[in-house]
Amino acid sequence: MINKAKKNIVFIFIIFGVIFLLFFILLTPKNREKKAYKIILIPKTVDETNDFWSSLMAGAKLGSKDLDVDLKIIGEKSEENVKGQIKDIEESAKRKPDALIVAPSSYSKMSGNLETITDKGMKLVLIDSVVDKDIAESIVATNNFMAGKKLGELAKTLLNHDDEIGIVAHVMGASTAIERERGIKEGLGKYKDQIADTVFTGSSYDRAYTRTEEMLKKHSNIKVIIGTNEYSAVGAARAIKDQGLAEKVKIVGFDNSIEEIQMLEAGIFQGIVIQKPFNMGYLSIQQTVKILEGEPVEDFLDSGYKMITKDNMYEEENQRLLYPFTRQQ
Amino acid sequence: MKKKKNHRTIFSRFRSIRNTITVAFSTLMILAMLIFLLISWYFTKKSMYENSVNYSYQIIKQVNYDINYYIGYMMNISSIVSKSSDVLQYLYNEDQTEEEIKKEHDRILSQFATIRGSRNDIYNIAAVAKNGHRILNDGTDKFTGYIDIEDESWYKAALSSVEGVSISSSHVQNAIQESYQWVITLSRPLVNYKTKKKDGVFFVDLNYSAISKLCNNNSLGDKGYIFILDKDGKIVYHPKQDLIYGGILSENTKQIMKNKSNSFLSEDGSKLYTVSRSDLTGWTTVGVIYTQELMKNNKQTQILYLLIAMILLLGVTVMSDVISGEITKPIRQLHDSMNLVEEGCFDEANIDVTTDNEVGNLSESFNIMAERIHALMEQNVYEQKQKRKSELKALQAQINPHFLYNTLDSIIWMSEGGKNDEVVLMTSALAKLLRQSISNDKEEVSIAEEINYVKSYMLIQKMRYADKLDYSIKIAPEIESTRIVKLTLQPIVENAIYHGLKYKKTKGNISIEGSKLGENACITISDDGVGMETETLDRIFKKREQTKSNGVGVYNVQKRLKLYYGEEYGISYLSRKGVGTMATITLPIADKKNDKKYDK
Repeated sequence: MINKAKKNIVFIFIIFGVIFLLFFILLTPKNREKKAYKIILIPKTVDETNDFWSSLMAGAKLGSKDLDVDLKIIGEKSEENVKGQIKDIEESAKRKPDALIVAPSSYSKMSGNLETITDKGMKLVLIDSVVDKDIAESIVATNNFMAGKKLGELAKTLLNHDDEIGIVAHVMGASTAIERERGIKEGLGKYKDQIADTVFTGSSYDRAYTRTEEMLKKHSNIKVIIGTNEYSAVGAARAIKDQGLAEKVKIVGFDNSIEEIQMLEAGIFQGIVIQKPFNMGYLSIQQTVKILEGEPVEDFLDSGYKMITKDNMYEEENQRLLYPFTRQQ
Repeated sequence: MKKKKNHRTIFSRFRSIRNTITVAFSTLMILAMLIFLLISWYFTKKSMYENSVNYSYQIIKQVNYDINYYIGYMMNISSIVSKSSDVLQYLYNEDQTEEEIKKEHDRILSQFATIRGSRNDIYNIAAVAKNGHRILNDGTDKFTGYIDIEDESWYKAALSSVEGVSISSSHVQNAIQESYQWVITLSRPLVNYKTKKKDGVFFVDLNYSAISKLCNNNSLGDKGYIFILDKDGKIVYHPKQDLIYGGILSENTKQIMKNKSNSFLSEDGSKLYTVSRSDLTGWTTVGVIYTQELMKNNKQTQILYLLIAMILLLGVTVMSDVISGEITKPIRQLHDSMNLVEEGCFDEANIDVTTDNEVGNLSESFNIMAERIHALMEQNVYEQKQKRKSELKALQAQINPHFLYNTLDSIIWMSEGGKNDEVVLMTSALAKLLRQSISNDKEEVSIAEEINYVKSYMLIQKMRYADKLDYSIKIAPEIESTRIVKLTLQPIVENAIYHGLKYKKTKGNISIEGSKLGENACITISDDGVGMETETLDRIFKKREQTKSNGVGVYNVQKRLKLYYGEEYGISYLSRKGVGTMATITLPIADKKNDKKYDK
């Protein structure tokens, strides 16, 4: 009899427990405190003076704050240091992050290293550039082909019928360089045969400067120069400016820096295609978190670009893109 | 009669009232608790929301105040400079000597330097006249040649402003050579003292970071933020403005500008907006709090509430179990004692009535009822006993008329035949028989007395059947005094004669033997008659068997023996066809008459 009564009490308690548990579950917000994802970002360079990459890192940092991500940024001083970046990738893998975001500085030299990362179960997202193997969960980058095409189309309008074109490209073998060049040629259309020379600068102002000088000496008929990134474009522009060729040789280029803007204002640049590195950084974090949450994501996420010419550079919208506020902070 | 409908109540599934009460109590308590929890939850949430709105509003107001203070300060400075005679003379007096101009220039520059020295958040300070006279910062910085200052929006705004001062939204100052800074431009029209026309602009560029710092210094939770809109709803400052300009993020500025109240929730309810407007700048300071963050604090309160409710419920459950146990205790006692009554134990069935309520009354009534039943039962048993006694007496009083007739007939025949001695013998035996059967004041007699009675009977029978019947009696002396129910042996002997010997062609023998067997006395009546078949035996034990016996059938004898001495005592028969029958009567020697209590 007593035993039975005890059983009853236990039964009642169990019912209570269940009721409370249900209540608790119903009232507890769905998104409970989850563990912060560990993500390591390896940009091509962590050079603070580089507007593009510092803006990208700022975007990534904001993204990590917004999405509660434990973000670490590891990188080299120079974009050209492929070996250094490979070492960084290997060391990052040892820290066992949930995901790696990499801007590969070479199209072909590090795909093997990146593959071992994905083999170990870490997620890989590529930003800005790609590699020769399709191993990334997603790519967040400027649509370099389309951006290059835009620039090519602009260059086309600057050409007289038999003028030659010189391309000052950045790193040989980098996917961005390849894609941009492809886009430029597409944009030039039939004028692409007028490309007299393509030089590689290894993302260095000085080399871009000297290579442009050499190129202009060799091909005196070059009337339009296209720079495929900030180093290349600015280096080339400096050379043209110093040689007093600003009136004769027109230049268009990629990316955005104060010097580039000044030269755009001064009429040395005819137009620049600017990317949205802040967006790229932010979106890469957002995309990576989505992947880690198991949500479906697009294979390629375009972070956007914008063609800026002297005519539209003072428009408010373009001002905001040209002078990212993060630079001033 | 109409059958009562078998209603199942809500509680009928429970097997005890105690559980019913416990469950009912607990259920009510849970309901009450849940209602209480929901209400307190609702109000806690509401008050938390209101507190947050208040808190946020205070912060926003403070930020707004700081900005106003800051801008107001700058306005005062600009007002002093823009009206200073040095500036106006320098810009508009064309008739001065170069020395005078240089002196004015130096004085203005030192004034600018003082202002710039006191506030490091001033980027540029300049006066620009339409006539081409300009003065900027420390005199070394130059205006850019790429744009026309008079086309700049802040320049136009200053000239067209009614208040005499204009504050721009955040923008990049393009007018200064090789400088591209995010600033807020405070501009005032300069009035040519000669023509009394607005003929130029004085402006101060304020470091935009000063504003962003004011906003950043105040936090609204971990993720909350503050941003500023200008009077057209354009963003002056936003902590994530790069995302907004990059097209990733958007802020519902239209709703903010449209909204008249100090706070509102975003459409999906995820953000709480608090708004404060400034008349001085025309700007709107907006605070954003994520409601999810508010609820984080609320969750702690919820958990506390739940815990308290849990503990209370546990307590209530235990208490209600104890209370229900106490309430139902008299009922359980009643139930137990009813079980006792069912089993016939009236003596222990009495309940102590401790309460004065319905159950107490019930118990009292039950006690009375049980007593009444007990009394009735005892009376019934007593009456039954009396009835049996009187029945027995009536039976004992009877002598079978056939037997009497036959005996008397035999006496007549004998007297006619002149057999006087035998007549005397038989008549005296008959008289003895009659006397013994009449003297029925006692129920029990000694075995010796009973044997005497049987002897008288046997004598008569032997004389009647003469050569056909013989008998022997052998009783052990130690059982002679043993009490036996009266008229036990005679019916069995009669039975032996009528069922056993009567059908025998030759002379039959009846032998009666009595001996002590352990604690019992054993009397066997055996005959060497035809024996009985099983069904005849069965018939003997059947009630009211119609024989020409003395009236007291074997059935009655058996019944009386068992009644008097108990179930283990009585008659048992052993019979074999053609060999004979043996009846054994077992009696207790000790005087343990369990009918004593009935006699009381």
